[in-house]
Amino acid sequence: MISAVRLKPLNWHPYIAPVELSEATPEQLDAMKVTPSAKKVSEYVRTLAHDPESYLARTILFNAIMYVEGGLARPDRELGALGASIVNGCKFCAVVHARRHAELTKSDEVVTALYLDKPEALGPRDAAIYSFARRLSAAPSEATADDIAALRSVGMDDREIIDLIHAISIFGWANRLMHVLGHAESGG
Amino acid sequence: MIDAMDKAAGISPDDALFAARRFRPEFVQGAEECRLSVLQPANDQGLARNLRVALARRMAALNADPVLMAEYDVQLVQLDPTEQLRALARGETDLEEPLATIVRHVDLITLTPKKAQASHIALLAQAGLNNPQIVALSELIAFVNFQTRVATGLRLLRSA
Repeated sequence: MISAVRLKPLNWHPYIAPVELSEATPEQLDAMKVTPSAKKVSEYVRTLAHDPESYLARTILFNAIMYVEGGLARPDRELGALGASIVNGCKFCAVVHARRHAELTKSDEVVTALYLDKPEALGPRDAAIYSFARRLSAAPSEATADDIAALRSVGMDDREIIDLIHAISIFGWANRLMHVLGHAESGG
Repeated sequence: MIDAMDKAAGISPDDALFAARRFRPEFVQGAEECRLSVLQPANDQGLARNLRVALARRMAALNADPVLMAEYDVQLVQLDPTEQLRALARGETDLEEPLATIVRHVDLITLTPKKAQASHIALLAQAGLNNPQIVALSELIAFVNFQTRVATGLRLLRSA
């Protein structure tokens, strides 16, 4: 029996100076959703606010993909996000989504197996999701019809697979921001 | 009516997958808004549309996506590209600055994001990119990597 991996949240810091709220344009403030009652904005959001159009559009899509009702179960979306984040080397994202998966499933088992690099310990559904997430993330051409067949064999329908494709792919995006524009540190 | 993602994935309105995609209107609309925000933004931050499309063409090739390569080729021709931009789009590395520095970064982050370090962002700044340009370039790189993965996943689902 292996002991559960316990992950502590990390802090993220940008490599470039984020937008200062005192110097932000109305468009940047609007994109960051800064209101008189909500003045605390993370360094990550203030970094991306340098280009408010793309920040706003991506935030709306990201929230839909990860939180929209129905379709693929939330833990399955988190597992797709986690698989992508591991392949893409985004430690910050991996920890966030590993913790979220553990919270949603009330179990550390899947996260522990992945952090100890023992994917063979996963059940068939998690294994099919994780394997597809790894291949599609590494390079689109690595994903194959066998991956889709594996997802169908564990009972996933087309709508759920579309949700999963989006959860994996949006981390091909998010990881290329967080891991590229800054770095993660252990919290104090 | 089909959108850019249907076109990239080879989906027509009478495919079952066309309707399945529309089970998530938020994803369909959201992906299109994102595409516009990185490829033809209202404020391009000084990164011109033809540069953005040329980079997208280059990244479609890095992701071995002939459908999106052809699509971006069509778009690029209509945007009056210089010979430098045509060379950039084809994947060449012997380019003028700051294009040479930009493509080294684009290639690295597309193929091996795990290797990204602080020094890579410093190189962009040294080549003359300001912070809004560094962020806009990062979003463009990230979007095309998202787009090629969604398109690939939908193609696999369509033919499986």
